[in-house]
Amino acid sequence: MRALSVVLCLAALPAAGQSPFPVDIGGSYALTDQYGAARTEADPEGKAQLLFFGYANCLNICSAALPLMGQMVDALAQDGMDVTPVMITVAPDQDQVETMGAPLAVHHAAFIGLTGPQEDLQVAYDAFRVEVEPLFEDPEYGWVYSHGSFIHLLDGDGALLTLLPPILDVDQAVHIAATYLEPAQDG
Amino acid sequence: MRHFTLSLLAGLALSSPGLAAEGTRIQVSGEIIDTWCYYSGVMGGPDAVVGSAHHTCALWCSAGGIPVGLLAEDGTVYMVLKVGDDTQTAGGDTLLRMAAHTVEADGMLYERDGLRYIVVSDVVSDLDITNKNHEDYGNVPGFSIPDPNK
Repeated sequence: MRALSVVLCLAALPAAGQSPFPVDIGGSYALTDQYGAARTEADPEGKAQLLFFGYANCLNICSAALPLMGQMVDALAQDGMDVTPVMITVAPDQDQVETMGAPLAVHHAAFIGLTGPQEDLQVAYDAFRVEVEPLFEDPEYGWVYSHGSFIHLLDGDGALLTLLPPILDVDQAVHIAATYLEPAQDG
Repeated sequence: MRHFTLSLLAGLALSSPGLAAEGTRIQVSGEIIDTWCYYSGVMGGPDAVVGSAHHTCALWCSAGGIPVGLLAEDGTVYMVLKVGDDTQTAGGDTLLRMAAHTVEADGMLYERDGLRYIVVSDVVSDLDITNKNHEDYGNVPGFSIPDPNK
């Protein structure tokens, strides 16, 4: 039954909440971006999205994933594919509406940071199967958290297209992402 | 590094988007590795960033969100998508406990985007850390064990 459902998912791109992987990954959420605007899993402009769960001043995997996402956005744009980089915080005490924007802009000006009440964030964590757990407190940088391991490529509606391990280099990641995307239409 | 990335993406050019086929049941014996250090080469060569020499760093990386891999005896790396009853992807205490361990895993292989993902249904055997390469390399990298005097 599981194998059958995978095959069926391949027949058409999945709707939000359906996963093309053998693990249910993806779903709805409602959070707030660094401008104070409400944002869901759907991109307001219908663009594809690169979604990562991390935090803006992370010294762990985010220091690889967030720059990769920014570089991917630029590389895909050169081929006419508009993609929005999005980070959902796993550290709402550190990443607040007022504080997320500047560190994310270091990686790309278009970066969207999302935060919200713990119960709203948990909805997103659960939907994307992300474990969030405080590990220890660094005296200089604050709490260090376990968090997601993959970059999620989503379509404009927020449905998962595929996963991108952040260990890929930019060319490899762009190559994979481009197979799911189409250049934006002018006008 | 280039050798490994080519290995990682073997078959990419032939792969269409999505899953190439439905899952295939496999049994794989190998070591649970830290894929970031293994592929990036930033912490040392491939023989140094596995086993007991790299165990501490592998714990840090796994806890910090680095995808965990299963390095098979033939050199193939499987990205571990999920283990057993864990509800999260590539996370949880299970993978922390198995960092650098040699295991025999029973699961389903899914090839997607030229990458090999494994959903481990059962860890048939866990032999603990069998690669005692700290005798050759020490702790890699040295700074992964915090200096208590700092």
